[in-house]
Amino acid sequence: MKIFAESHKTVFVVDHCPYMAESCRQHVEFDMLVKNRTQGIIPLAPISKSLWTCSVESSMEYCRIMYDIFPFKKLVNFIVSDSGAHVLNSWTQEDQNLQELMAALAAVGPPNPHADPECCSILHGLVTAVEALCKITEYQHEARTMLMENAERVGNRGRIICITNAKSDSHVRMLEECVQETIHEHNKLAANSDHLMQIQKCELVLIHTYPVGEDSLVSDRPKKELSSVLTSEVHSVRAGRHLATKLNVLVQQHFDLASTTITNIPMKEEQHANTSANYDVELLHHKEAHVDFIKSGDNHIGGNSREGTFKETVTLKWCTPRTNSVELHYCTGAYRISPVDVNSRPSSCLTNFLLNGRSVLLEQPRKSGSKVISHMLSSHGGEIFLHVLSSSRSILEDPPSISEGCGGRVTDYRITDFGEFMRENRLTPFLEPRRSLEIPLERAKDQLEKHTRYWPMIISQTTIFNMQAVVPLASVIVKEALTDEDILNCQKTIYNLVDMERKNDPLPISTVGTRGKGPKRDEQYRIMWNELETLVRAHINNSDKHQRVLECLLACRSKPPEEEERKKRGRKREEKEDKSEKSGKDYEPDKPWQESERLKSVLDREKEELAEAEIIKDSPDSPEPPNKKPLVTMDEMPPVEKAKGPMSLLSLWSNRINTANSRKHQEFIGRLNSVNNKAELYQHLKEENGMETTENGKGSRQ
Amino acid sequence: MPTVVVMDVSLSMTRPVSVEGSEEYQRKHLAIHGLTMLFEHMATNYKLEFTALVVFSSLWELMVPFTRDYNTLQEALSNMDDYDKTCLEAALLGVCNIVQQEWGAAIPCQVVLVTDGCLGIGRGSLRHSLTTHNQRSESNRFPLPFPFPSKLYVMCMANLEELQSSDSLDCLERLIDLNNGEGQIFTIDGPLCLKNVQSMFGKLIDLAYTPFHAVLKCGHLTSDVQVFPRPEPFIIDEEIDPIPKAINTDLEIVGFIDIADISSPPVLSRHLVLPIALNKEGDELGPGITDDTEDENSANQIAGKIPNFCVLLHGSLKVEGMVAIVQLGPEWYGMLYSQADSKKKSNLMMSLFEPGPEPLPWLGKMAQLGPISDAKENPYGEDDNKSPFPLQPKNKRSYAQNVTVWIKPSGLQTDVQKILRNARKLPEKTQTFYKELNRLRKAALAFGFLDLLKGVADMLERECTLLPDTAHPDAAFQLTHAAQQLKVASTGTSEYTAYDHNITPLQTDFSGSSAERM
Repeated sequence: MKIFAESHKTVFVVDHCPYMAESCRQHVEFDMLVKNRTQGIIPLAPISKSLWTCSVESSMEYCRIMYDIFPFKKLVNFIVSDSGAHVLNSWTQEDQNLQELMAALAAVGPPNPHADPECCSILHGLVTAVEALCKITEYQHEARTMLMENAERVGNRGRIICITNAKSDSHVRMLEECVQETIHEHNKLAANSDHLMQIQKCELVLIHTYPVGEDSLVSDRPKKELSSVLTSEVHSVRAGRHLATKLNVLVQQHFDLASTTITNIPMKEEQHANTSANYDVELLHHKEAHVDFIKSGDNHIGGNSREGTFKETVTLKWCTPRTNSVELHYCTGAYRISPVDVNSRPSSCLTNFLLNGRSVLLEQPRKSGSKVISHMLSSHGGEIFLHVLSSSRSILEDPPSISEGCGGRVTDYRITDFGEFMRENRLTPFLEPRRSLEIPLERAKDQLEKHTRYWPMIISQTTIFNMQAVVPLASVIVKEALTDEDILNCQKTIYNLVDMERKNDPLPISTVGTRGKGPKRDEQYRIMWNELETLVRAHINNSDKHQRVLECLLACRSKPPEEEERKKRGRKREEKEDKSEKSGKDYEPDKPWQESERLKSVLDREKEELAEAEIIKDSPDSPEPPNKKPLVTMDEMPPVEKAKGPMSLLSLWSNRINTANSRKHQEFIGRLNSVNNKAELYQHLKEENGMETTENGKGSRQ
Repeated sequence: MPTVVVMDVSLSMTRPVSVEGSEEYQRKHLAIHGLTMLFEHMATNYKLEFTALVVFSSLWELMVPFTRDYNTLQEALSNMDDYDKTCLEAALLGVCNIVQQEWGAAIPCQVVLVTDGCLGIGRGSLRHSLTTHNQRSESNRFPLPFPFPSKLYVMCMANLEELQSSDSLDCLERLIDLNNGEGQIFTIDGPLCLKNVQSMFGKLIDLAYTPFHAVLKCGHLTSDVQVFPRPEPFIIDEEIDPIPKAINTDLEIVGFIDIADISSPPVLSRHLVLPIALNKEGDELGPGITDDTEDENSANQIAGKIPNFCVLLHGSLKVEGMVAIVQLGPEWYGMLYSQADSKKKSNLMMSLFEPGPEPLPWLGKMAQLGPISDAKENPYGEDDNKSPFPLQPKNKRSYAQNVTVWIKPSGLQTDVQKILRNARKLPEKTQTFYKELNRLRKAALAFGFLDLLKGVADMLERECTLLPDTAHPDAAFQLTHAAQQLKVASTGTSEYTAYDHNITPLQTDFSGSSAERM
């Protein structure tokens, strides 16, 4: 579809000369007397519209339909011509609505029948119309600016609809010649101007209108090419409703519209509230909505429109909507509609029903009698659209289920948590230009990046996200900036965890894939602290305040001081020994190893403390927790942080310490063998022959 | 995108080909060889494609209806008989019917025509069809362009020189032109032999049947995926921007929206998003792992047990009733959602919106969508009971703003009746009476229909005389006042015809005091 086809610019030129004040000689009864009050009263004499009134209301109807269906990018410039040309609006989008035009028309008023006919002419209007077509619209301007050196691709075509009362065929020819000459002249002008565009194609639609009952002095003529730029057609139409009908046909031709009649609409009768009668409503819309009928040659399914206004209409049957179910239909197109008879009761009943938020499915009557839902009427924000639903067989039928593919066998996805995540990352429109120049959508992407820096996908991969106690910290740490209150909450969370550790509260550590009872309590806390550190570290570059949360976390982890720690450990050991004695053989083989390991780690700690003053890190030689997956993720994180900005002092320091530490021990086999830091680290635990590797691992440490 | 293979089985296809080997080959065998290769490729890499097989000579026959069972298609290739002369038009017409019956007119199809470049003689030959092309009526329209979006690939069992020696190539090129340029002609490079046929079909596979692999991203959460069917490049405006746009191989989620808010949007196409395990070259998958099918199965099982972002996303989208908005390229977006095929099976699906900054008017400009955390207060409400969507357009449409249309007398009569009805219920209906009166006044002024104003003024004056004795005294005052105001407007004198002016109710003593008393 071309944006800058003829339909982009329509100029209406309506004759405002004295003879247009003449009556169209079609009477309108306006004084319809109500039955029981008619006695003795003679109704007022019917009135009739002038040629001017007929012309104006028909062209307004043309615009109404056009604006309903194409509120953007299809523009109208309205010109009234008498002793001069009066331009009622401009090409700007703000001027493109009925209210503006109506107000401008009211200001012009009806033609003055007593004006001097000699100084009035439609030519003024036609010349101005050509001028208007040379003027660039904001859409053309935007496209030209965007295309830069390809600006010449932006077309300038248009249509002039001229409603007048011509004197004869030769008068019509004179008007055509005038338009042609004017185009020629203005194209020359436009060639040397930055603000004007040359007219490439102009369609002149001359409508000669005359009072009903008179003979036409002008003959109809189909579209004819007058030059490479100008085509012209002549319509000779009686005024009154004939003129309105003509313009209705034209608007359909000009904007590729088609008609759909919704049939069987149940409507409550005013008098009999209990019964409902069935009504039909005819709608106009872009003809693409009928693409299935047109292409399959099935366009005979509709009858002729009741009043013979249009050649054909497609009839679709109303299906009373089910209760407000929210469904995502497969919709291949949605087109704005405009009711043909906008103020009739059936039309307004239908449109009000839709505007209140209900959708209606439409059924296509088929010869075979089978039921096919092919369309849906639905309103979005006060605009009604005809949705085309796909009714043919799907090429995607019977696809492999998602549970059969990659990751399909995993059963502990954090579905609910991710649902919460999605709700937090919903989008909302930002209308006014915001203070910051950042594009809202980029902010949305940015937020997703932050929120996913550490986001384990399955329950068994995480401890902290299974703990209610961590929520206050986890929910705020992902933020771009923290308030003092946020920090306080984070600190509270950390203290709370320290407290839990002191009280030796159980943690929701997954035992999936581990043997026996899984890690011991203090190991569990180590896993948890590690994971929490991973989460916080992923965000330390967000702000100084994030850094403070990490500082708090590190400080708390290192507490209580060594003395207490040792005491506590001793106490714990006793407890555990008690327990393990009870729990029997399963624990036995582990015990000596763990004890010696623990002793060693305590010694290491003391050494380290001497060397590195306050910074107390986990001893690298302390036993690795058997299910320490978070570390894998942590290993992934540093590159991200680096990419996010300059290195912080902390990361410089931690790097230095890490390298110092790494010199003190042999690198883990798993880490050495890892690919891109993604190690199939504890794969062996899930498999039969995994045992061997684990033992090897231990051996190498001892 | 379903495929129809249209195979020429006319006698000319049995012409022998001199091949270096001892066995005698016909062009038909070369064609079968090429198609076998195509079907094998599809069976492994393009499993979900529906393919049908049509054979034709002077008549045509649907050998295999649309299927994903490539064994059946293979078998059919070996069961083809030889018939008389080539009559392409009838076969293409057959393709039209088959495709439309199965898929309607909206689903794009690929038509693979396999022929030897002998396009028949006399009536029904392509040459005859093309020369009579301009003299056709609507009822016996040439089947091209196909009534559905299509690509026509012509696989010639002949080399370029051979085709150029007759006018076959010109005819085939016109055929593609008639299909609005959608399609391509393939010829054999060099001598006719199995190897060169393979390379010709290889080119077709590269062009039309390579799976589309992409990476689905949501921040740091990612998954390798195959998008099926392949998203086709799209031309936004053939005049301004004639270069087809293709979608990115990085599909970046930008945020989420409730299904009720996205509200069955129109889409260009929809695609399955299937997570895949890419065995990157150089990765030590271990020797022999991909060698036979048993190992492949176990590899699949391993892949099934590794958590995949697609599965997580799908699960949550389904449970929450939401869609993910995904960016496909500059100013091009789509949505991801869970699509249930049956009660048990469901899948992650992606639909593409039309490219452009604002594909859905009710969402506004896509670039203006931002995270809710940036809003002053949560636009979805604290209890998740409201929504910022749909956006309201600046101007209301005619059916939503009570426009005045008097083209049919009934429209005018209804409006006059409304005024009259309210006039009889004065002073209770004072507000509505003046509202309707002003609406009529405005329209009459815009349409230059001053006679109507005078007429309605007369009517109101008459109503005044008909008031019953029991009527409120204010009624008479208001009617007279209204009639007088309409009369001055009908004179057309500019000071009374200001469009924005409203006739206001007459401030009468009793209306004010009576209201107070009550």
